[in-house]
Amino acid sequence: MSNEFAIDNVWVGVIVVAILFAICYFIGWWASKMTTSEEDFYAAGFKIGPVTNGLSMAATWASLATFLGVIALISKMQVPFVYLWIQWAISIPLLTLLYGTSLRRMKAFTPATFIKARYGKGATITIVLWMILIMIMYALGQMIGLGQAFEMLFGIPYNVALVVSGIATVGYITMGGMYGASYNAAFQMIIMTVAMIVPMGAIMKAMGSSGWWFPPLAYGDMVPAMLKVLPTFFDMKYDLRWYFALIPAFTLGPVALPHLAMRVFTSSSVKNARWAVVWFVLFLGLLFAGTYTSGFAGNYFVATTGKAIAKADQTLLILNVFYNPMWVAAFVMGGALAAGLSTVGGNLMAISGLVGNDLLGILAPNMEAKSRIRWGFVALGMGGVIAILLAFKPPKFLVTSILWAFGLLASTATPGILLGVWWKEANKLALIVSANICGLIFIIISPHVFPSIVVGKGATAALGMSGGLVTVPLSFALFIFLSLIFNRMPALSAWAPSLADKQVIDRIHGWGDYDENRYNGKVWPVVLALVCLLISFWGLQPWKF
Amino acid sequence: MKEQLYRKEIWITIVFSVLLMLTGHCATLFVAFPFLKGGMMWGFPVEYIVPILMGWFGMMVVCIAMALVCNKFDDDMEEFAKSQGQTVMSDKTGGK
Repeated sequence: MSNEFAIDNVWVGVIVVAILFAICYFIGWWASKMTTSEEDFYAAGFKIGPVTNGLSMAATWASLATFLGVIALISKMQVPFVYLWIQWAISIPLLTLLYGTSLRRMKAFTPATFIKARYGKGATITIVLWMILIMIMYALGQMIGLGQAFEMLFGIPYNVALVVSGIATVGYITMGGMYGASYNAAFQMIIMTVAMIVPMGAIMKAMGSSGWWFPPLAYGDMVPAMLKVLPTFFDMKYDLRWYFALIPAFTLGPVALPHLAMRVFTSSSVKNARWAVVWFVLFLGLLFAGTYTSGFAGNYFVATTGKAIAKADQTLLILNVFYNPMWVAAFVMGGALAAGLSTVGGNLMAISGLVGNDLLGILAPNMEAKSRIRWGFVALGMGGVIAILLAFKPPKFLVTSILWAFGLLASTATPGILLGVWWKEANKLALIVSANICGLIFIIISPHVFPSIVVGKGATAALGMSGGLVTVPLSFALFIFLSLIFNRMPALSAWAPSLADKQVIDRIHGWGDYDENRYNGKVWPVVLALVCLLISFWGLQPWKF
Repeated sequence: MKEQLYRKEIWITIVFSVLLMLTGHCATLFVAFPFLKGGMMWGFPVEYIVPILMGWFGMMVVCIAMALVCNKFDDDMEEFAKSQGQTVMSDKTGGK
């Protein structure tokens, strides 16, 4: 892959990357000395304070796509994609509210820890396998981006860049466990925020904006010029259904992302988890606002200079190479690398927890904790290797495969977690059936596997929005109706929630006693299921966009 | 008291879920109610800058309120359990 605007002096890139990785490895090594138990390895000993955790949450969520893919998609879809991105900040606050603190109270390592306590082995294996698939897809997107970033910085072929960056990344993450992932992510968030915001100020100054002193919000004076050259930039191009479809796929999907939930679980207390969320929104908002500015500036650059950007993924680097000194452009790529590293760290820790703790806890229940940690390390490394191997043939748009996976997660895991925490009737077999059916339907009606069977069209279908509007509500409805039916069939009584399962619900909500009537309604779940069916039917209607 | 706490928990969850959705999906309001569009703020069309501000500072305010209200609610739950001679799940009980 050739670059339009490469950094001329390779050694500048080498120095930036060497410093970044040296710090990451040092933190990983330092953190490895603190890791002596499973609690340390999977949950950083449940000791991460609110500010550090807020930074880590933001870094784990803000992937490499924030620097590369998003700006490309803002260039393509303009303002509607900004709206799509804004709503992602809800994910961690919503998961904290709906189940994060409850699961933190039970000292869960991953959401599947709760699934195992609530639904038993069969459902856990189902959900864990879906989550691992999605985590590998997620890590794959980051690996592709890391490979591209190395390619741009060093001017080496993509495949070589991918192997070098992949091995270097997996190495330091494997070393430090969750302590290392947490402190590294906090450090990386600072790097990526500075790399996004400060150089953008210089770019805006060069573009003639008086708001260069605060790039995230002060570029209003560039709007008239932008509207003159690109009058459609602020158009809300799509209909109401397009915006509504953001909720099932892109709000409810990330709510079940194990690497985000695991960040909440590392908090030093339930109360501190809530305060960490406040810091998360502050830090993430700053970075995301910088991303929107970059997307705006990229469009402005193309419209005012007449220079076409063929590789839209590289817009941010191109702007920096064009307007800023070479070392600044290299530092921005360092920020992009930091974004990728922190997310891969979260993804691989999630794979490690899902395999080492959840899956092995079922397949080999008598295995010693030390052996389980060892297998967790192996799973972490293997997850990284698989992601590297898959990244040799990258998809056209870096961000697409990640976004599509969110809809798959919302169709499979989200209903099981949310209804499991809030509804005692939730049935084990109903979860297995609804998650697998709706996951498969989501895959079938997406354009990536069977291009002739697609709900929706264009980017809406490719991103999993139209598919998600059908299968996510369907998954909730199916789960609710099947639970009510299966719980009343004597032949399926083994799958019905036991008293112990139901007691888990009261305990994780903070109750000292058990009450059969709590979280055990019938009317509201049925109303919710009927509404979900209507929404699903709405999603099946022909799509204009 | 027990029933009151249960109702309170449900309402807290519903209200904050709705508020979070409103702050994160503010742009949808401009599509549903097009008459809201047309104004300018800080040089930007309101339908652009308001969703950005709501998704950042608006959400932060909601999260601060959420932390205060939910942490207070946890205290009330613990207090109630203690008054009944019960223990609640916590780090002290090893998450059991």
